[in-house]
Amino acid sequence: MANEKVDVVVVGAGASGSVYASVLAKAGKKVVLLEAGPDWELSDLISSEIWGRRIKPAGAPILLEGRNPMTYAAQGGWGVGGAALHYYANFPRLLPTDFRIKSEHNRAHDWPISYDDVAPFYDKVARETGVSGDAKAEERWRPAGEAYPMPPMKTFRNGNIWLKGFDALGIPMVPAPVGMNSVEFNGRPACLYDGWCHVGCPIGALANPQITYLGEARKAGAEVRALSTVTRVLTNQAGTRVTGVEYYDAKQQKQTQEASVVLLAAWSAQNPRLLLNSATDKHPKGLGNASGLVGRYMMSHHVASTWAMFDEDIQNHMGTIAVQYMSYEHYPKTSHDGAFGSSFITAGFALKTTDLAMSRADLFGPELADYMRRAARNLAGIKTFGEEQANIENRVELTSAKDEFGMPLGKLIHSYDQDAVALWNANLEEGLKVAKAAGAKEAWSSRGSIPTSHLMGGTIMGSSVAASVVDSYGQSHEIPNLWVAGPSIFPTAGASNPTFTIFALSRRGAERMASQWATLTN
Amino acid sequence: MANIGRRGFVKGATLGALAFTVGGAEVIMAAGEARARGVPFRLLDAHQGETLEALGETLVPQAREAGIAHFIDQQLSVPPHESLLQARIFNFRPPFAEFYRTAITAVDEGGRKLFGRDFAQLPAADQREFVDRMRQNKIEGWTGRPGAIVYAVLRADAVDVVYGTMEGYEALGIPYMPHIPPEKRW
Repeated sequence: MANEKVDVVVVGAGASGSVYASVLAKAGKKVVLLEAGPDWELSDLISSEIWGRRIKPAGAPILLEGRNPMTYAAQGGWGVGGAALHYYANFPRLLPTDFRIKSEHNRAHDWPISYDDVAPFYDKVARETGVSGDAKAEERWRPAGEAYPMPPMKTFRNGNIWLKGFDALGIPMVPAPVGMNSVEFNGRPACLYDGWCHVGCPIGALANPQITYLGEARKAGAEVRALSTVTRVLTNQAGTRVTGVEYYDAKQQKQTQEASVVLLAAWSAQNPRLLLNSATDKHPKGLGNASGLVGRYMMSHHVASTWAMFDEDIQNHMGTIAVQYMSYEHYPKTSHDGAFGSSFITAGFALKTTDLAMSRADLFGPELADYMRRAARNLAGIKTFGEEQANIENRVELTSAKDEFGMPLGKLIHSYDQDAVALWNANLEEGLKVAKAAGAKEAWSSRGSIPTSHLMGGTIMGSSVAASVVDSYGQSHEIPNLWVAGPSIFPTAGASNPTFTIFALSRRGAERMASQWATLTN
Repeated sequence: MANIGRRGFVKGATLGALAFTVGGAEVIMAAGEARARGVPFRLLDAHQGETLEALGETLVPQAREAGIAHFIDQQLSVPPHESLLQARIFNFRPPFAEFYRTAITAVDEGGRKLFGRDFAQLPAADQREFVDRMRQNKIEGWTGRPGAIVYAVLRADAVDVVYGTMEGYEALGIPYMPHIPPEKRW
């Protein structure tokens, strides 16, 4: 079944798709968002870790392989709002060094843009969505920019108790920037600090897409079609332009949505899966894949978690899931001897019972029950996110297995290299030193398999057609009316939580698309 | 978009309970209550239910009484995209029932090899010894997903039913502080 042609069809109603939909709908474009999952409302966001699993991925699974398989389902989204419906809303930004790692260290890729190109959009997103933090305090590590629109969030003993330890190691900690309201903002209430952010904030204190860009897009006339699974991007016969997408609707009926522009905003694994599955005789390796790099350079952040028991009741149920303190002190790529890559240090976050149990995954039986009673009062953690270098062997590819619509399943192959392992170990060792200096009664590292957090890459940006998939705005090098958004266009990962950068790059790309509209529709 | 107020302003909480079938009718109740009332399993057979209860109780004390087998059984009976099981977060490919069936088979085979009986029939000390070996992938001839994965998933399920509920928080003295509380104290 064919639908009336629209200006833009957006595949995915998460963080990046919502920004584009908002900007373009406000510019008068007819926008349709196709979202594979349900159309969640704030009233669906029950405060329960068990019930919160409803907003985690549930469509066709991405098959996971490699030495360090991605924790895909824990990270991804399912439904309108995407992963940003349950994100932690930590809003650190990338730093200038992230954009020129090739020039400075002869590693991976330079971005085709600099920090200065993105910085105005960080500021713009902060003004639009609301960010709480202390920009001046951060500027000891980064170029100056605008102040955040809200003061920092409250801190709690579970965060403050770490400061002595960091101070002892010469690591300055400053208030963390978060996409949450420390005070009322744009008619949205201030946070209540009860730590249910990660299952979806129903009061509007956390900047999820429903109450920010997607809400604005809907007001401006954008249409959201939930339970609509896109399987192919369609092209004209010459293969020079995309003409729309094929999808299956809520009744599992095959539909076609024609559009002047197609934007893929379906996260880092699904964007390449769609491009690869849209191969034609003119694009035998997949759309936009003359370089052979669609699906390549998948990246993650490794996370070094340090846990500690303190003698006092530190009220670890209070606060937000976002962090209270952060530091870029070890962000320079060569901060740790014998390791390479940026580290982003964080401390102070609310814990739920699942977190308590997972902090000692080896315990079971009566020992676990005893531990849970102690951890409920005395446990706190710090986490250091570490950069993984872009590696062409980390990839998404299609398999022979098919989903319910006959579309090949994607396989995500991911392994950390020795740089990542060395950096993770260095950060774990440092965490134990911090805990000891903070006065912890006992402290331990989360060892075992190296965690994967955040998913990036797969359709990386660059200036060279041979060495990248899209330009710095997300426009395909090969097909001008095919665009890609989200973390899949990151050419390197940095160590900062990615969503603030996703919002900023999407805002930049959307403005570009609107300003260049005439060139896209010719 | 729904207009939701501050904490305690409850809307949409009808989604928060589990539906069990009693006498042919759907009844909303917590998993522990379903067990106490002897609600029949939907998919599990009696031995599978007994084994999951024994495994759950070994992993997390009070998981049996909290209804771990009824929780898993009920969740296996709903479409995968509605499932609340940790199997979803572990990125298992549906149907999730296959994981539990093969895990129970592997546990029973291991129990017979090591101690001469199915897991559920073992003394508590042997069950504990078995789980500790399973956790470390130290059971010879193990089939299916690695023992460490079975341990992680079943432990997480047991943590859910014992500590993930409002009662679980209360037992630990942790204020639950919901914005939208799950119904039936889930």
